[in-house]
Amino acid sequence: MPSALPTPYEGLRVVELAVDPAGEMTGAQFAHLGAEVVKVEPPGGAPSRHTGPWAGDEPGPERSLAHWYYNGNKASVVLDLEADEGRAAFDRLLGTADLLVSSLHPRDLRRVGLDLRALVASDAFPSLVVVSITPFGLTGPWADHVSSDLVGLAASGLLNTSGYDDHSIPPIRPGGDQAFHTAASFAHMGALLALMERHHSGSGDLVDVAMHDSAAVTCELANPYYFYPKALVKRQTGRHAQPEPTQPATFECADGWVYFALILADQQPWQVLVEWLDSEGLAVDLTEEAYQDMEYRQANFAHVQDVIEVFFLLHTAAYAYHEGQRRGLPIGVVNAPEDVLRDEHMNARGFFVAVDHPGHGPVVHPGVPYRFSALSTAALTPTAALGADTERVLAALPDREGRA
Amino acid sequence: MGVGALATRLLADYGAEVVRIEDRNRLDMPRRLPIYKDEPARAYGNEDPNPDPNKGGLFNNYNRNKLGVTIDMRRPEGRAVAERLIRVSDAVTENFAPGVMERWGLTEEHVRSLQPDAVYARMSGYGHSGPHAHYRSYGPVVQAVSGLSHVSGLPGRQPSGWGLSYMDNQAAYYNSSALLMALFARARTGVGTDVDVSAIEAGVEMLGPILLDVGVNGRTTRSDDFPLGNRLEHPPAAPHGVYPARGDDRWVAIAVFDDGEWKALVDALGSPDWAADERFATVESRHAHQDALDGFLADWARTRDRHEVMALLQAAGVRAAAVQDAADLTETDPQIAEHGTFFSMGHPVIGEALFEGVGFTTLRTAPDHWRSAPLLGEDNEYVCLDILGMDRAEYDELVATGVM
Repeated sequence: MPSALPTPYEGLRVVELAVDPAGEMTGAQFAHLGAEVVKVEPPGGAPSRHTGPWAGDEPGPERSLAHWYYNGNKASVVLDLEADEGRAAFDRLLGTADLLVSSLHPRDLRRVGLDLRALVASDAFPSLVVVSITPFGLTGPWADHVSSDLVGLAASGLLNTSGYDDHSIPPIRPGGDQAFHTAASFAHMGALLALMERHHSGSGDLVDVAMHDSAAVTCELANPYYFYPKALVKRQTGRHAQPEPTQPATFECADGWVYFALILADQQPWQVLVEWLDSEGLAVDLTEEAYQDMEYRQANFAHVQDVIEVFFLLHTAAYAYHEGQRRGLPIGVVNAPEDVLRDEHMNARGFFVAVDHPGHGPVVHPGVPYRFSALSTAALTPTAALGADTERVLAALPDREGRA
Repeated sequence: MGVGALATRLLADYGAEVVRIEDRNRLDMPRRLPIYKDEPARAYGNEDPNPDPNKGGLFNNYNRNKLGVTIDMRRPEGRAVAERLIRVSDAVTENFAPGVMERWGLTEEHVRSLQPDAVYARMSGYGHSGPHAHYRSYGPVVQAVSGLSHVSGLPGRQPSGWGLSYMDNQAAYYNSSALLMALFARARTGVGTDVDVSAIEAGVEMLGPILLDVGVNGRTTRSDDFPLGNRLEHPPAAPHGVYPARGDDRWVAIAVFDDGEWKALVDALGSPDWAADERFATVESRHAHQDALDGFLADWARTRDRHEVMALLQAAGVRAAAVQDAADLTETDPQIAEHGTFFSMGHPVIGEALFEGVGFTTLRTAPDHWRSAPLLGEDNEYVCLDILGMDRAEYDELVATGVM
């Protein structure tokens, strides 16, 4: 439903040159929050159009779910940046833009003759903000290195924290393209800082996002553990990598898993847990006075763990989650994506949105994870067909002499 | 735990005056975690019963460049000080469980009555509406409930999930962006806004196209062929994995997407006989025969140094990286060094310490790293006398009565 409230990015024009989920997610943030995002694609279409999964498992540039996921609310303009005509049109388009989001690799930037530093310094674009997202940044000895989500997670240290207790198994990539998504989050933040600075000074800037650095500062405890006690964390199954081993925190239930980290040192959650177990006659001996003592609990930790394991095995994950939370314990059910789509809470908040994709029908997308009382977010729309907006957008550009 | 602190850190780094309100009687968790310089490492969860609040490394990392005050919010005199602060502030932000701010009278209406143009940003796990709004969460719970843990692991096993509170970082980034967006919009419209960001909804946005595969195609992810560990289904890349390198628990990630990259890999390996196997002739066939391919590649890599493998393959244009740890990032990573992503500042109790910066650099602006994290209550006097304009007697009374 159209809202009378302005969007955060109302009136902002963004040109997107994205070849990976990092660039496309960054563009999506602007598109979902009200900017006009013009996605510039090569004649064959953006790489995401050629990446599955596919709607109905049928490949095709208009059927890629990877493309649908990140590219709603954007206009699609086809330009061949390697041809003079295409490049001239691109420059005219940039002249109307507030922000350029590029995830072209440095080699590709050179190939198409796009020098982002020169662009920002040029008199032609005095107030353009350029956000560049590359694997390792535009400068430094590894600037030309090639990467991927897995490779980016590996180099950044994030991969090193995740996997199984059994270290004959390699570190395991956490799912969902998170090196790309982390770079996108920094791109969004960096763009906002530059846009606010521009609001005051009138000048643009180059925000040089490195996926590597973005993920490297997103490892939570791993770097502080090295900065301070000079310790390296070691990966553990389904829980924090730590400098020394800790007890398992993912418990198997009758039909799934829950995450519950019992901190033996905390008295209050211990009492809540024992009361819960006892209320179902499953506390065994944990109600005994001796267990009120933290050191006794720690000394008998293996037994404590056994009792809890049995308790969870006897319950469904949903029961363990909701009843545990009702009792004030921070328990999380390990939801599959199928469960996420059915989640009572998120649905009650109206988070999911059905977007009508032409030729396919309604598709449930996650909504915009920002809610404002005095601002609105965009109503989600499906992706544009390849080049659907080329004519309209180019026709509205000022000509070479700057006439509209 | 660190969401609120990390969300405002970006603003503090880039020149905002951020006043962090703390409770002397309930220490902020990052002040308590046993991440101490020059002391043996201990797992978090294994903290001192009575920690020195000023030597926590994680707190230092999260709260640099901020002012720190202690206010007893349970007392009306304390709440009056907080209200005076709100009157002179542009933004108010918090990440308590829903209801805590309301208990202190700081409803959205009341904050707006104190400061009509304020941005009031509420950061929480579940958001401020819906049936589970009061549920307790932190990173691992958010990761479980949003589906991010389930999609991470080897098929047919317990999910390996996340070795870190990834969603504490990502929620912080989303909240930083939300704050900046609201302030950016306010600079244009003159109107403040309330903001509600749910970490779980941000987490669902992080899931990526698998969510559409499930929704559109009825893909089931509770199955023996999901998740995929380090392999990649879309596009069907192979080899795509993490391979053993020389040394104890040392690994290297390699990702090959197309025939050109495969040829480059084979050349870099010196064209071994196994690489000429017909099974490895096309992308589809390599993908279908990954077990065999991974075996050969593992045998090749396991006698080699992970950084040498990275250098050799990158020189050939193959996406590859050593699985680095915090020591690599801090001591030898040339990008982190070139970009100044980790930097050092002194602290009166901790001494010289390293900090994690951001994932981008900018040309025309720079962060202002003017101080390490405040000691507990370090800026009480400055904030009361200089920012709020209190007279000395009033301030002394607040200190004497334990309000501050």
